[in-house]
Amino acid sequence: MTFNLRLIPLLPFLGAAILMLFGRKWKRDTVLLVAAGAIAGSCLVAFDAFFTALPQAAAAGGLHDVVGTWIAAGSLKIDLAFRLDALSGLLCLIITFIGFLIHLYSSGYMEHDPDYPRFFAYLNLFCGSMLVLVLGDSLPIMFIGWEGVGLCSYLLIGFWYTSNANADAGKKAFITNRIGDLGFLIGMFLLYHTTGTLNFRELTATATAAVGGSSGLMALSWLGAPVAFWAALFLFIGATGKSAQIPLYVWLPDAMAGPTPVSALIHAATMVTAGVYMVARMHALYLLTPGAMAIVAGVGALTALFAAIIGFAQNDFKKVLAYSTISQLGFMFAGVGTANFDAGVFHLFTHAFFKAGLFLCAGSVMHAMGGSGDITIMGGLRKKIPWTHGVFLVCWLAICGVPFFSGFFSKDSIIGGAFATEVFGQDVAWVGKAVGVVLMLAAFGTAFYMSRLYFLVFSGSETRASDEIKHHIHESPGSMVGPLVVLAIGAALGGFIGLPGGLFDHPEWNLLADRLTPVLGPEMEIAHTTEIGFMVASVVLALGGIGLAYLFYGGGYREPARKFAAAAPRFVQLVRDKFRIDELYDRTIIRFVKWLANQIFFFVDRILIDKVMVGLPAAIVDGFGRFARWCQGGDVQRYMAVFAIGAAVILYFATQPMHTFFSSPLKVTVSGLAVDVDAHRSSKPADRELDYSFEFDDDGKPAPPGTAPVAHHVYAKPGTYTVRVEVTDPNWGTSSTLKQKVEVR
Amino acid sequence: MADPTLGDQLIFWLLASLTTFFAIFTITRKNPVTAVMSLVATFFCLAGIYASLSAHFLAALQVLVYAGAIMVLFIFVIMILNREEVAPFSWRPLRVAGVLAGGYLLLKLIGLALGLPRGAPSVLPDDFGTVAAIGDVLFRDFLYPFESISVLLLVAIVGGVVVSRSHQKEVAAVEAAAYRHQIHEMAEHDYPGAPEAPTTPEGHH
Amino acid sequence: MPTFYYLILSFVLFLIGTAGVLLRRNALIALMGIELQLNGGNLAMLAFSRELGDLKGHVFAFFIIALAAAEAAVGLAILVALFRGRQTVNLDEATLMKR
Repeated sequence: MTFNLRLIPLLPFLGAAILMLFGRKWKRDTVLLVAAGAIAGSCLVAFDAFFTALPQAAAAGGLHDVVGTWIAAGSLKIDLAFRLDALSGLLCLIITFIGFLIHLYSSGYMEHDPDYPRFFAYLNLFCGSMLVLVLGDSLPIMFIGWEGVGLCSYLLIGFWYTSNANADAGKKAFITNRIGDLGFLIGMFLLYHTTGTLNFRELTATATAAVGGSSGLMALSWLGAPVAFWAALFLFIGATGKSAQIPLYVWLPDAMAGPTPVSALIHAATMVTAGVYMVARMHALYLLTPGAMAIVAGVGALTALFAAIIGFAQNDFKKVLAYSTISQLGFMFAGVGTANFDAGVFHLFTHAFFKAGLFLCAGSVMHAMGGSGDITIMGGLRKKIPWTHGVFLVCWLAICGVPFFSGFFSKDSIIGGAFATEVFGQDVAWVGKAVGVVLMLAAFGTAFYMSRLYFLVFSGSETRASDEIKHHIHESPGSMVGPLVVLAIGAALGGFIGLPGGLFDHPEWNLLADRLTPVLGPEMEIAHTTEIGFMVASVVLALGGIGLAYLFYGGGYREPARKFAAAAPRFVQLVRDKFRIDELYDRTIIRFVKWLANQIFFFVDRILIDKVMVGLPAAIVDGFGRFARWCQGGDVQRYMAVFAIGAAVILYFATQPMHTFFSSPLKVTVSGLAVDVDAHRSSKPADRELDYSFEFDDDGKPAPPGTAPVAHHVYAKPGTYTVRVEVTDPNWGTSSTLKQKVEVR
Repeated sequence: MADPTLGDQLIFWLLASLTTFFAIFTITRKNPVTAVMSLVATFFCLAGIYASLSAHFLAALQVLVYAGAIMVLFIFVIMILNREEVAPFSWRPLRVAGVLAGGYLLLKLIGLALGLPRGAPSVLPDDFGTVAAIGDVLFRDFLYPFESISVLLLVAIVGGVVVSRSHQKEVAAVEAAAYRHQIHEMAEHDYPGAPEAPTTPEGHH
Repeated sequence: MPTFYYLILSFVLFLIGTAGVLLRRNALIALMGIELQLNGGNLAMLAFSRELGDLKGHVFAFFIIALAAAEAAVGLAILVALFRGRQTVNLDEATLMKR
């Protein structure tokens, strides 16, 4: 069923274009109107599509909009087309709605920034690209959006580009993304090569049909693994780049150099979730290879735990949230990696709300603290910025997984699903359990570091900052607080769309899973006891984490925290330095790449281009110039000498009977043992009388010369002979010889 | 004409070798006067050959114009110019290559000439090569070229005079004007605004 | 004598003239070499004219002589002007237009 889906990404793109062209001349209000209006428009269209049009079309594969054919080359045909089904529709809603809220927030946050129009132009551009990514009907269209959001991420992280650190952070994000994109491309190529299509519906159908088979996608490839495994793995490498998992997560903490709304939108709610979306979209492919799924789940779980540990020791507000994002993304990947696609997407949804809320609170707190994000000088802000505190409280409880807040439902379904999954088969079923255990540890860690953040910033009665900063502390303006409140409501209540109705024999209570079934398949079946057991365990872990944090940091730095820091200072420093992974990368990979680039630069640029390609033509032209200058030397006798030499040369060449330099123009036709030789140069009759003497390599006796250019000869025995024709000009006495090998049977 | 008689052959070979000898002599002399004399001798021999070719008028012209006028011109110029000769010959490789190329051309052309059909020269009318006959052709068929040649000669005369004109007077006039200008400026500098002193105009003397 | 004898003589004269022009430094001798070349051409003209019985060759030779005269006059005038400037008739030193 067709629907004008193209409007959804088109409106933000138009907004971006208009703002880039005219934004600088307009007033701030106009700029905001255009930008937020574009997003709001998209939001309305998305809502309309999702709630009114989609239900009727859900069974038929969702809403469809074909704009035109993009590539038609041979057997490759890619349409610029969009498809809105439950999965992409849900993400569209998230992107447009939260995007709209962040546009409103930015009007307050970026109020004093001179580059206001450029910011909104980039924000709109980002939203447009993300929508293309999500709505794309095929992998190449998704890749367009993929690249587009990478670009916007670079532009927005390095928004305040006058600072080297910001520019470097933008570069790091883009380059790390690019490395992942290589994996994405290879995965795409593998899929196209094997299945001949890149369209999602067709791929899903092909993958579903290939289950249990041994050809096509399941054909065995390197290391004995099927093609599907490698395609899935390479696509996942792309996802690790975009969604900041091990090993390509290093750009995300640095990306906090950008404005906070950017961090909220891109690095919390939308762009980083692109990887999860991609895996969910390709779920049929992943279901073919439990090996790849194990890798996805394993990497996700490990990342979740690893990032959580790093978060224990960070002193910058946004850095804590950055590692938290990495960690939560790990949860999502663990969810989709254990074939619990509904849970992964559910967590994506809830995370968007509470993480965006947390980031915007960070912006609010930093606004209050005069731009500083150092939590060591905060404290006691609970009374001073009450609205921000309220929102942060709600989002904090959500992320910790306190019951009935949104995070509780989503995180719990992931953990439960990890233990109960059967996708890995009976032999390696321990993978699921191992993933589950790691996730539980990570959940505990999440509760701990988020609570640490809460207590250090908001609890206590004293703010540890200097007096001048303390005087400056004030609540944010309404334009900033408004979106915060909306996000808090979402964080609080969002969980209710995914109620685990199955527990009470009312599976239809799980609205989300219901909607997603046509796309992602049926909800995972988890035994009631398992589910309830893990729910309880999650709550225990959450409360335990909060409690431990309270012990260490309730109301400020307390004794246990100081003792721990004193007891293991080197370990604490290591964790604070994010395990020095960046330094490791620098020493091993980056140094080598830089060296290689230098070598290439030296060889290609200095030698090949400068000396050879530029120098050589220059030298040739110079040589010609020198020669020309020599020719006109002014020495009359030189002129005459050249005259004479030239005349001699011309005479020589003009009197050759035939020119044999380039080719031997003997036309030899063989028929049996007879050979017809034609020494004509061209079809025109000869303008000179020439004598032809044919020699057929037979018995060494050349035939007597005659004036006929053609000759016929019959060989006695078959073999390979060389026919020689000597052409003489009787007037000038010059002659030339033509040769041709001929094979006679 | 039948096969050449002994007399014809004798005349030809004699005159031909003399011509060649004198020609080589011309270009190898260090003293230009000697070279001119030798060239005159070449022309005389050539006139003889022309005569043997029934080109009577041309033979006369050759002596009159070439040996008589052009060579005299050469001698005049030689006497005007200094005679210095550091190294008469220049064996620069390019020039030698040019001469060798010329030699190659010579050989090729000789080869061609030898291959030409040795047809007998046609029967010539009695007045072949006489003034009257040539004049007839000249003023009938070649009138315009003839007049152009006259113009050419005029141009050559004028051009020769112009090119070799002495420029002494012009140089002197320019220098005098510059000198006068300089004096005027000095006067202005020393006595600004003074009335012009009456100068004796030139040409009054 | 058959024509080709005269032809060969004319080629030889031409070659001697060329050698004179190319290998001598004195401009006067070079001009004489040019005269030799022209005479070689004249000889060829007259030889063919006799073979073909056509007087056109004579007329051409006539023109060539007139031309040679004119050219010699102008060439010598140039030489005089050159000499006045540089005090030499060495052709090797006359390769630049400006002093």
